[in-house]
Amino acid sequence: MSTKKILLVDDSCTARLVNRMIFSQKSNYVLISAVDGKEAVERAKREKPDLILMDIVMPRMTGLEACRVLKKDRETEKIPVILLTTRGEEQYVQEGYASGCSDYLTKPVNDAELLDLLKAYLGE
Amino acid sequence: MRSTGNGSRPPAKEVCRIEPADGNSLIPTEVEDLRVRVQQISLREQIERNHFLLMRLNAANARLIQSLEQGDVFDAIAEIIANLIGSEEVAVFDYHAAEQNFSLAWSTGIEAEALQPFLCGAGMFGRAVQQGMSQFQERQPDGALLPYEKNLTACVILKSSREIVGVVAIFGLLPQKNNLEWADYELLKFVETYGAVAMKFQRLQGIRVSP
Repeated sequence: MSTKKILLVDDSCTARLVNRMIFSQKSNYVLISAVDGKEAVERAKREKPDLILMDIVMPRMTGLEACRVLKKDRETEKIPVILLTTRGEEQYVQEGYASGCSDYLTKPVNDAELLDLLKAYLGE
Repeated sequence: MRSTGNGSRPPAKEVCRIEPADGNSLIPTEVEDLRVRVQQISLREQIERNHFLLMRLNAANARLIQSLEQGDVFDAIAEIIANLIGSEEVAVFDYHAAEQNFSLAWSTGIEAEALQPFLCGAGMFGRAVQQGMSQFQERQPDGALLPYEKNLTACVILKSSREIVGVVAIFGLLPQKNNLEWADYELLKFVETYGAVAMKFQRLQGIRVSP
């Protein structure tokens, strides 16, 4: 089973902790993290993750802005971005997809749903 | 919860279907097999639910411990409630046992003015302190809520060794969250005790985070 690198982007330490625990169920997932959109863009360019799981409301650069930047860059445009956020309002969902994200999940996250989605994108 | 949109989708997960053979009724051994299978699925679901709850409790515990070092207990409580339960409208009240009154310690997503009526300690909020037990809107009898409590989902008592140190008021849930679920109540029980310990520790340290 090949190793998959996931970039987890969230300014909330609790969100990073719980996602880390969810991913620890899968031995082939390697997790790297960033605390805002700006750091996410830098890490994505440098480390080329297989998938990005990103919050929307963050300091310095929001998840929507970061997603737009990543999708415009040839080096990162093909990396699937899943937005994972507390913002479930239709307006945010539409903005999320308009920014180029592949999928949109709302918090509180369900671990089975998240792992199924990741499996579908990363293949196993 | 997954939202639909125009993004490219991976194929949906196949649903497992159990159907009898064409035209034949099930014989007793098949019925028994089905019964065992259903029981196994139900047990598996129960284990998965418990496992997920444990992960959330573990994350909440780690975050509260971290807050003791960083002096951001209120942020930790708000993060736990936003990310693991599903509300971004939270207020924490200090309870002063000697004077039997409250003061607003911290809030997010709610105007301070809207929180003023709670300081008189009436209604569901007051009952939480009087009874020393967390109160939930969906468990209140009809007409028991005061007009300003309509948006109040839960009053979680922060209690350490019978001493009440504060109350966490949780207002509106996120739009995608309809009501509190079994695991949420378990998590809130955890916040009751360990949130209280963290808050007490923060008080002892003399660290206060400005609202």
